[in-house]
Amino acid sequence: MMLGYYLDLALRSLRRTPILTGLMVLAIGLGIGASMTMVTVLHVMTDDPLPGRSAHLYTPHLDPLPLDYRQGGDGPDPSDNLTWPDAQALLKAHRAARQAAMAGGSLLVHPERVDLRPFYADGRYTTADFFAMFGVTLKRGGGWNEADDATGAHVVVLGETLAQKLYGSADAVGKTVRLGDKDFRVVGVVADWAPLPMFYADASAKRYSDADQFFLPLSAAMELKLDVNGNFSSWGDDHAETRMTSPTMSWLQFWVQLDTPSQARAYRQYLVDYSAGQKALGRFQRPPGDAKLYGLMDWLAHENLVPDDVRLQLWLALGFLLVCMLNIVALLLAKFLRRSGELSVRRALGARRLDIFVQLGSESALIGVAGGVLGLAIAQIGLWSVRHRPDDYARLAQMDVSMLLGTLALAVLASVLAGVLPAWRACQVAPALQLKAQ
Amino acid sequence: MQIRPILAALRSHKTAVTLLVLEIALTMAILGNLVFIVYGTLQRSRTPTGVAEGQIGLIQSIGVIGEDNPGTVGDNIALLQRVPGVVAATFGGPPLWYDSASNAFLDPDRQHRVARMYEFTGGQGLSRTLGLHLVEGHDLQPEDLPDASQWGSVKEVPALITRALAAKLFPGGRALGQRFYDGTSAVRVQGVVDHLRAEITGRPDDDYSVVIEYRVGAQDMGGGFMIRSEPGRLEPTLLAAAAALQKANPGHVQNKVYTMAELRERYFRSDLATGRMLVAILLILLVVTALGVSGLASFWVQQRRRQIGMRRALGATRGDILRYFQAENFLIVTAGVVLGAVFAFALNLFLMHRFELARLPTGYLAVGALVLWALGQLAVLGPALRAAAVPPVVATRSV
Repeated sequence: MMLGYYLDLALRSLRRTPILTGLMVLAIGLGIGASMTMVTVLHVMTDDPLPGRSAHLYTPHLDPLPLDYRQGGDGPDPSDNLTWPDAQALLKAHRAARQAAMAGGSLLVHPERVDLRPFYADGRYTTADFFAMFGVTLKRGGGWNEADDATGAHVVVLGETLAQKLYGSADAVGKTVRLGDKDFRVVGVVADWAPLPMFYADASAKRYSDADQFFLPLSAAMELKLDVNGNFSSWGDDHAETRMTSPTMSWLQFWVQLDTPSQARAYRQYLVDYSAGQKALGRFQRPPGDAKLYGLMDWLAHENLVPDDVRLQLWLALGFLLVCMLNIVALLLAKFLRRSGELSVRRALGARRLDIFVQLGSESALIGVAGGVLGLAIAQIGLWSVRHRPDDYARLAQMDVSMLLGTLALAVLASVLAGVLPAWRACQVAPALQLKAQ
Repeated sequence: MQIRPILAALRSHKTAVTLLVLEIALTMAILGNLVFIVYGTLQRSRTPTGVAEGQIGLIQSIGVIGEDNPGTVGDNIALLQRVPGVVAATFGGPPLWYDSASNAFLDPDRQHRVARMYEFTGGQGLSRTLGLHLVEGHDLQPEDLPDASQWGSVKEVPALITRALAAKLFPGGRALGQRFYDGTSAVRVQGVVDHLRAEITGRPDDDYSVVIEYRVGAQDMGGGFMIRSEPGRLEPTLLAAAAALQKANPGHVQNKVYTMAELRERYFRSDLATGRMLVAILLILLVVTALGVSGLASFWVQQRRRQIGMRRALGATRGDILRYFQAENFLIVTAGVVLGAVFAFALNLFLMHRFELARLPTGYLAVGALVLWALGQLAVLGPALRAAAVPPVVATRSV
C-alpha cells in the first residue's frame, strides 16, 4: 500500500522544515485547543441529565393566566410553573404511568450531635412517585407511598451525604431528624442525587451546582407551612395565609412519565381537555390549545440554560479556529509549491495527479495528528481555567472519551481540509516541466 | 520606494497573498470586537454605585426558627450605632446584593408601566447609612416615616429617588413633591439624590432607584444590617459590629459579613474571569497571526534568494532589500485592515443581534489597525533582515 510510503515521505518532508512544521502544528493545536475547550463546556451543559430515562419524562404546562395579563419586569413566565389546584388535579387524575408534583425548599437542620451547629440544607418537597419516576437509587429503606401523601406523614428521605453527616456510619432509617422546627422520621436513604442540569428545579435554582439533600412529602410541607424556594408568580388578589393554595399563584413543578408516543399524545389531549374544562368553569381564559407537554430535552432547550457569555466564547473560539486554518492553508501552499521540482519529477516518473494529491494530503493529516495531540493538551489547560471560574457550571468542565476522540478527529479534519487547496494547486504541476528551468 | 515592482511580485503569489489578507482581516474583526467587549466589562466594574463604598459593611443575621432571640431590630440598630467607629447603621441591604427590580407607574390603576426601578427599603437612617448625595429637596425626616408594622398596607410613603429616575418619570418637570406608584403604595418624592445603582449591567435603568425608610423598633427581624464606618476604618469596625450583633442575638445565625468592596468583587468575579479568558484568546490569536506572517515571509525570502542576490549585484543596498520586504508587508496588512474593518462591523452586527452588544465605535478599528501594522512589521523583521543579509554573489551561483 502506498499510504505507508506517503507517510514516510511526509515525515521526511516535515523534518526538513522543522520550524515551519512547528508553526503549523502550533497553529492547529491552539485553534483546536481553544475551540474544543468551549465546545466541551457547551457539550456538558447541554448533556442529557438522565440518559435512558429522559425520553419518557415530560413536564405539562397549563396557561391559567388572564387574557389581559402582561409580563412585567424581566421575571420568568408565570405559566412555567403550576398552581396548587392544577397540580392536585393532575395528580389525582393519574393519567400518566407515574407523576409527581414538587417544589424546592431550604430548611435548617438541627443535628443531634453536639459538635455540629444547625445548618441549612436544600431539599425537595414532592410526592410518592418521584423516586421511581426519576430512578433515584435507594440505598436503605424506601420512599413513601400515596397514603403518606394523603395524610401528610412527617417522613423524610435523606441523601447519603446528609445522612452520613448526621449519623456517621449508623443506619439512618428509623431515626428522627429535626428540620425547621418539626421532627421527621427517616424512612429511606438515597444515593446522592444531582442530575446535571437539575432539570426539575425551577428557574431560580442554580441548576448546575445545587443538589437536593433531603426529600419529604409536599403535603407535609404544606401542612407545616415550610419555606418554599423558587419563583412565586401571582396574578390575583392573594392573601398571605391562603396564597399557597390559591388558583392564581403558580409555584409548583410537575413531571410525568409516559412510556410510549401514544401515551404522550393521550396525555397532551388530556391537558387540552382539562384546560377546556377549566375554561368552561370560567377559571381559564386563554385557548385550551395553549396547554403544552414538553419532553425533558425540549424543556431544557426551552429554558435556555446556557448563558450568553458561554455562547459568545464558543463563537469567538470558532472564529479563532478559522484564523488558524487560514494560516495553515497559506503556509502549506508555500511549502507545497516550493516542492514543485520534486513533484514534477514524480509526475515524470509516472505518478498520477491523484497520487500527488494523496501524498500531500497525508502530509497535512500528519500535521493534524500532531496538532490534535497538542490541541488536547491546550484544551485541558483551557478546561482547567474554566473550572477555576466562579460560575455555577465551572466544575462540570471535564472532557469525556467521546470529546477526546472528537478533538483528535476535528484536528485531522481541519488540517486535511486546510491541505486540500494547496495540494490541488501543487498537483497541477506539469510533469518534468520544472526540471527544464534548472 | 517603488510600489509597482512589489505589486508585480505579489501578483504571482495571488493565492497565498489572498489567504494572508483574509487572515489579517479576520484577526482585525475579532480583535476589534474582543477589545470592545473586554473594555466594556472593565468600565462596568469601575462604575460607582453612588454609595460611600469604602465605608459600608453588611452583616446578614438570620433568625433560627424555634430559638428565642431577645434582640429587636430597634435595639440592634442602636447597638450598632454605639460600636466605636460606626457613623451610621440601619436595617437594610446595600447595592449589588439581592436587588430585585419592581415596576413604577404614574397612574394609580397601575396600567402603564413607566419604568423598571430598584427599591431600597430599610429602617430609619437608610439613606444616611448609604451616604447618598442629596441634590434636591430634603432627606427623609424621622417623623414622616411609616411604621414597620404597617408594611404593605400603608397608602403613601415618602421617598428619595435618583436623578435618572426623576428624569424618566417626570421628564422636563420638577420631581419634588410628585407622586408615582409602586406595587403596593403611592410614593411621594421628598428628595433627589445624584446616583444609586442597585446593579451595574450597563443599562440606563441601573440608576433608577428609590429609597424608602420605615420606622423599625420592637420587631424581631432578621436580614441585612448595614453600617457606615469612619473613613479608613471599615474592616475593624465591621468585625466589632458583627461580634456585638451576634452577642446580642444568640438566636440568630450570621451567614455573611461583607464589606462593600467584597460585594463588588463577588458581583464582577464571573465577568472579569470571562474578560481574562477573552484576553488570553486575543493574545494567542495575535501570536498565531504573527507566526503566519513571519512563516510566509521566510518562505518568500528563501524562494527569492537568487533574485535578491541579483538586485544586490545590480547595486541595491541592504537597506533597499530590507525596506522592500517591509513595504510588501505593509501593503498586505493594509489590505487586510481595510477588509478587516468591514468584517469587524459585520461581526459586531451579528453580536449586536445575538448578544445585545452595543455598536462598535470606529476608534477601536483605528487601534486595531495600528496594532496589526505594528505586529506585521515586527513579524516580517526577522525574515527581512535575513533577506538583506543575502550576499550579491548568490546571483552567480546556480541553485
